[in-house]
Amino acid sequence: MKDLLATVKANKRIAQNIYMITLTLPEEVGAMHGGQFVNLSTGNGAHLLRRPLGVCMAEGNEVSVCYQVKGNGTKYLTTVEAGRKLRVLLPCGNWFDLDDYKNIAVIGGGVGIFPLVATIREHFQTKNFYSYIGFRNIDAVCLYNELAKSKRLTITTDDGSYGQKGNAVSAYLEDAANVPADAIISCGPPVMLKVLKQKLKEQGIKTPCFVSLEERMGCGMGACLVCVCKTEDGGNARVCRDGPVFNIDEVQL
Amino acid sequence: MANLQVEICGVKFKNPVIAASGTFGFGREYNLLYDISVLGGVSTKGTTIEPRPGNPVPRIAEGSSVILNSVGLQNPGVEHFIKEDLPFLKSKGVVIIANVAGKTLEDYGNICARLNGIADMIELNISCPNVHAGGMALGIKPQNIYEVTKLAKANLTKTPLIVKLSPNVESIPSNARAAEEGGADCISLINTFTGMVIDIERRKPILANNTGGVSGAGIKPIALRMVYEAAHAVKIPVIGMGGITCAEDAIEFMMAGARAVQVGTANFTNGNSMPEIISGMDRWLNNHGIKDVNQIVDVLTLN
Repeated sequence: MKDLLATVKANKRIAQNIYMITLTLPEEVGAMHGGQFVNLSTGNGAHLLRRPLGVCMAEGNEVSVCYQVKGNGTKYLTTVEAGRKLRVLLPCGNWFDLDDYKNIAVIGGGVGIFPLVATIREHFQTKNFYSYIGFRNIDAVCLYNELAKSKRLTITTDDGSYGQKGNAVSAYLEDAANVPADAIISCGPPVMLKVLKQKLKEQGIKTPCFVSLEERMGCGMGACLVCVCKTEDGGNARVCRDGPVFNIDEVQL
Repeated sequence: MANLQVEICGVKFKNPVIAASGTFGFGREYNLLYDISVLGGVSTKGTTIEPRPGNPVPRIAEGSSVILNSVGLQNPGVEHFIKEDLPFLKSKGVVIIANVAGKTLEDYGNICARLNGIADMIELNISCPNVHAGGMALGIKPQNIYEVTKLAKANLTKTPLIVKLSPNVESIPSNARAAEEGGADCISLINTFTGMVIDIERRKPILANNTGGVSGAGIKPIALRMVYEAAHAVKIPVIGMGGITCAEDAIEFMMAGARAVQVGTANFTNGNSMPEIISGMDRWLNNHGIKDVNQIVDVLTLN
């Protein structure tokens, strides 16, 4: 983990309200894996908190992350041009560790797809991904070519304007019997993960399932105890350091 | 190189830059970024007798040039601190300031007794805005400050006592004097201001606890004024904090009368803030031909 001044290489819109920013790092920081995140300054001195953004692509000393324009911080971030320097802490957190798995069901929704894209990119040559990816509508669809590295790809939209009408969790569950998954990985809005946990339990699906969580963060490295989630044993886990990837059975959603 | 060493209540700091409580845990995480032995000291995460789970999330929000937190003193309890965290900090050779809190007066007495002679200094957190009992309730009125300080001091025969003051009060000088009269060896200030940020779409405060402690660069001018007031109200040393992000900020606090400074929120914005502040202070002193950092303490001439 390092705290560096990175140079913005590109910062472009890739879907409605979604941008991808690519950073050139002044030094190597070692391998970055799908599920890990960077804690990135918006470039505006009035924003003291950095924004935790999941790694989407990482190669050599370049890393790309995607963000949805939501508040002042991300709105400002869209105005940052190539050449600007931004302070970044990286790589942060754990990742989707797929060493023991070969066939992986991927369930992603909205901005939760980016850590999943990184994971698919990392392993698609040696593992099979069966991906169920949900977007709000056709305007939100992005990174199709990356998602298409999956062995099988189902895209859903809430309004049916692209792919199947519906959501990613339902699409997976309808198909579950035909997916030879030995693991499930998922990331998406809290309500999606909650439903996923509920449905896996209801339907008796015992496949190990790993989810990447999101929370408002402070330090991004586990010191400040701001971004905790509740564990099933009643304790707290730090999303930034003990996670962001957790076994779905171990966290309350 | 200028001398950066300072001595407070007989405790030697290799420089006047201390990690502020709550932003730095017990130092292990930041030690992955840089060797934290370069720091003057570490004020630990607020520690209580029993472990505490803290508040619900979200625990953090942002305003312009400030942040708000509402962690609610989540901590593993004093025994865990003594067993697991203290040895690590000791191995780093930094001054260990155990920041302690409680629900009742008795809690404060007990935790001070437990840490007497164990930590290098104790920082009494009577100013946390995020816990409903104890915390700030004991830190507002001079009479309460006097009482809790006196009780803490009675249990600290071997370890110097710092009382951390809240800014959410009527009079900083009165409260500083109350701590001094209660037997405090040192005062630190300021803790955070109580504040609120609202999500107008949901018509709800962003923080689950509704309010939280405001910190960061935006509060610096107010903190500086309060540190100046406290330093000129008492004879005991003062440690200043509130929105310090760079060496020049730290120097302002020392000129206002602080003998050392604490850095908190800046660690979030730049993980390397504190080493950079230390080297920046050295550079500034050298550029101004000042051989000893103690020479800039309380040198302010008012207009």
